[in-house]
Amino acid sequence: MTTATALVQGMPLFGRMFSVDKSTGLEEINAWPALMIMASFVWLAVAGLLGLVMPATQILDLNTDWYYTALTAHGAALAFPCVFQLMIGVGLHRSGGCVGKPITGIFPALIFWFLNIGSALLTVAILMGLSISLVVMYPLPIVGAQMGIWSMNAVVIGFSGIALVLTTMIVLYPVFLIRLTFFGEKRKDLQLAERTLQDPGMLGMILSAFTLLVSGTPLMIVASAVLLALYGIVPMDAVSWATEPVVFQYVFFIFAHNLMEAMALMVISAVYATLPLYLADGTRKLFSDRIANAALWILLLTSVTTFLHHFITLFPNQPAMLAYQATIMSWGTGLGAALSIFTILATIWQHGLRPEPGIIAALIGFVLYILDGASAMVTSNVAWAFMLHGTMWQSGHTMTVLVAMSMMWMGVLYHHYPVITGRKLDPVLGTWFVRLFAVGGIGAALVMLAAGAAGMPRRFAAWNQEGWMFYGYLILFFGLILGAAYVVYLYNFMKSIEITSSAGNRAASAA
Amino acid sequence: MLDFLFTGWGAFWMTLFMLVPFAAIFTWVVYRKSVVDSAASGTARKSLSRLEGVWLTVVFVVFVAVNLASMKYMPTIATAHAAASGQPLQQVDLTATSWSYQISIREIEAGKPVRFSGKSADTMHGFAVYHPDGRMLFTMMLMPGLKNPTSIVHTFNEPGIYKVRCLEYCGVAHHRMADELVVVKRST
Repeated sequence: MTTATALVQGMPLFGRMFSVDKSTGLEEINAWPALMIMASFVWLAVAGLLGLVMPATQILDLNTDWYYTALTAHGAALAFPCVFQLMIGVGLHRSGGCVGKPITGIFPALIFWFLNIGSALLTVAILMGLSISLVVMYPLPIVGAQMGIWSMNAVVIGFSGIALVLTTMIVLYPVFLIRLTFFGEKRKDLQLAERTLQDPGMLGMILSAFTLLVSGTPLMIVASAVLLALYGIVPMDAVSWATEPVVFQYVFFIFAHNLMEAMALMVISAVYATLPLYLADGTRKLFSDRIANAALWILLLTSVTTFLHHFITLFPNQPAMLAYQATIMSWGTGLGAALSIFTILATIWQHGLRPEPGIIAALIGFVLYILDGASAMVTSNVAWAFMLHGTMWQSGHTMTVLVAMSMMWMGVLYHHYPVITGRKLDPVLGTWFVRLFAVGGIGAALVMLAAGAAGMPRRFAAWNQEGWMFYGYLILFFGLILGAAYVVYLYNFMKSIEITSSAGNRAASAA
Repeated sequence: MLDFLFTGWGAFWMTLFMLVPFAAIFTWVVYRKSVVDSAASGTARKSLSRLEGVWLTVVFVVFVAVNLASMKYMPTIATAHAAASGQPLQQVDLTATSWSYQISIREIEAGKPVRFSGKSADTMHGFAVYHPDGRMLFTMMLMPGLKNPTSIVHTFNEPGIYKVRCLEYCGVAHHRMADELVVVKRST
């Protein structure tokens, strides 16, 4: 039994849901992914509760500090250890099964420990008062410490946690994925379904690995310099090039924006790989691999410079030319999305679909992802950006992209769950999860966009102005529905039933 | 109609305009090919390829048309026009500090373009101006450490009290960072 398997089994409540099936001989591609997936749902529970605390503090008119603490902790928990870790877990399981190589050794262990210890440190810092929101808002951490709002110790602990998380996302995970794809010996006993880089189901994985590595390197350099200064290893003056707010903000968003694009590439790739397995006529092929790959390449190439739309309202410090470039490229991503839409619909139209909960969840997640894409394109237009930037529109966009991706990954996980655990899920509960998630996700997204359209500020502890509390009630309502969907999803894992058929059949059906 | 489209609520309706037809077609195709009749369709691949061409053309035309129409409403272009026209501007200089604004002039004349130039003295701040009816007119991002101010030109057409809010999260009293501008109508 591996360390990862033992850790899963030792975890109360969640351990029962994700205990690894050791009878299939696939433990080497299942154990670390199962541990990461389990940990992501533990963080989801934390993030979900904090997400409900935010509107609750406003509606009950509680201390505004609690709102900002919940805001920061919710964002940090949801984005990195929850959604990103879920993606890593399911993605590594998929990749291992596609290339026939084990997910073992130092890399998966470091990925797991760095991501979770880093997130825990950041949470501790937030509980010590470091309310800096998901995007750090540099130089707010330093200014807040200088003003005595939080301690410099909290900043050092928080930045140490962020450094571990960034190391995972920018270095460890992409390097491991690249190593897995291009190096090492292939083992037939671990290969569930062979895929090459011509396959859209694999191409997106490797494109996203390179995107994370390239777009994250500048932030690693700048953040490392700041951290060395915070530790007192080098004087602050020596890293003044890195502590300039404009430098930090730009390198932060070069990475943060492309992180979302990389996650999109990866999850669309996973949907491209999963959809053919549910075609009614057993074709197991997309309408066109060429068009699917073209969509991924368009998304990659157009998204590289779209991060500039985060700074449209900084005009003229960010020249108008770069703002127009951001608008054009942001709308260019829509062309990639249009190709993806066509590929998915043409595939279903040609071959029919077996409507099982996993694939329907992935497709609803895709609809939500398109809704989010439309809202992102609109707010990237220079005219609209000046009226929407800093409002709940942006929060709606961020929340929706994370919810959409988590739904797509949860749909893909629904498919892979039997081969990881050797247990099958209840389709009735699966269908209820899909229904609740669709209503909660789409409802919350539209309400937050509408709140932004009405001018309601984001990250703002006074919703009791201008009638904005109305949106607060609706956000809480749809948030509760989303929470119920997650509970049903996890309850399904709790109630899963041992599969009695042979291990070989399980592996074949998962492939 | 374009005047409405390029407002906050116009953005919402534009998003729905893109989403609703897509969601309807998507749902219809998935429902029809999974519940009603999941058998392989006899649609020729060539027909689908032709449909793909039409679909991409429609998407491209909509995207280009919307963005071309938006040019008139871009504050960057309005600012460039104001600078090029040489017409006299009201100048408002402002500095944001946690959690208040120093504003050089708080009374502004309606119908006459105003140049807002803002800087931040400590951390990231915003300067968003709201119409008396509650909708947001524009926002500016103020980043500390920059040599030049963030700056745009805006013309207020209606007199009234316009609220100012910070829309860049700046710490635990961020929601209290607010101010007001008074727009007055002067007889010529």
